[in-house]
Amino acid sequence: MTEELHREIGHDEYNPVGTLVLIALYFLVLLLLWLFVYFIEFLGRDLTVVGVVI
Amino acid sequence: MNIHAYEKLWLAASLVLIVLFIGSVTYGAVGAGIAMVDDAEGVIDPDALDEDDRFADPRVEEVGENEYEVYVVAGQFFFDPGTFEPIEVPEHSQVTFYVTSPDVIHSFSIPGTNANTMVIPGEVASMTVEVGDPQEYGIVCNEFCGGGHHDMEGEFHVVPEDEFTLEADE
Repeated sequence: MTEELHREIGHDEYNPVGTLVLIALYFLVLLLLWLFVYFIEFLGRDLTVVGVVI
Repeated sequence: MNIHAYEKLWLAASLVLIVLFIGSVTYGAVGAGIAMVDDAEGVIDPDALDEDDRFADPRVEEVGENEYEVYVVAGQFFFDPGTFEPIEVPEHSQVTFYVTSPDVIHSFSIPGTNANTMVIPGEVASMTVEVGDPQEYGIVCNEFCGGGHHDMEGEFHVVPEDEFTLEADE
């Protein structure tokens, strides 16, 4: 590696935007799956056991 | 400690996600009224079910306006009522099942729905469901209970109001 291409950055200048986007997508998928599983698949399967929470 | 701004972001987002998960389960319990099957019904002598007025004559009983109780004995390898004759309740009513077993552990589950409970000898399982329009459901045992387990099934019919008669009234 030549001297001109060598660059040092500090902690706060390092911005992994790709990682941030990946994590944001992953969170979105998690959220949508949870909404689907709980509100549509679980609450929507009729004859649900109901009662008073003690 | 030096935490990167992005890291703070996704740490906060994961906490929000956990709050949402717990919040929706709380909504299910408080808002939608989802309940768990528990041991609130107490114990019973599995060898003396015929001395218990609920299970000596397993049946459907009307206990209030549009409220029915169904007493079911789940044994090897039948549901009584359910297997020999279907359990019948009228449409749009509230139905509470009380199920117990004289022999081994069974289950009482209505496939395709959330109605499902273990049936333990010596315990009474109770669960309340709200039925809608007329429909025919099946009942199966999903705890391996012996050589005839795969044949242990029954039927639960939600029938139109005008077709419904209690056994006692027939």
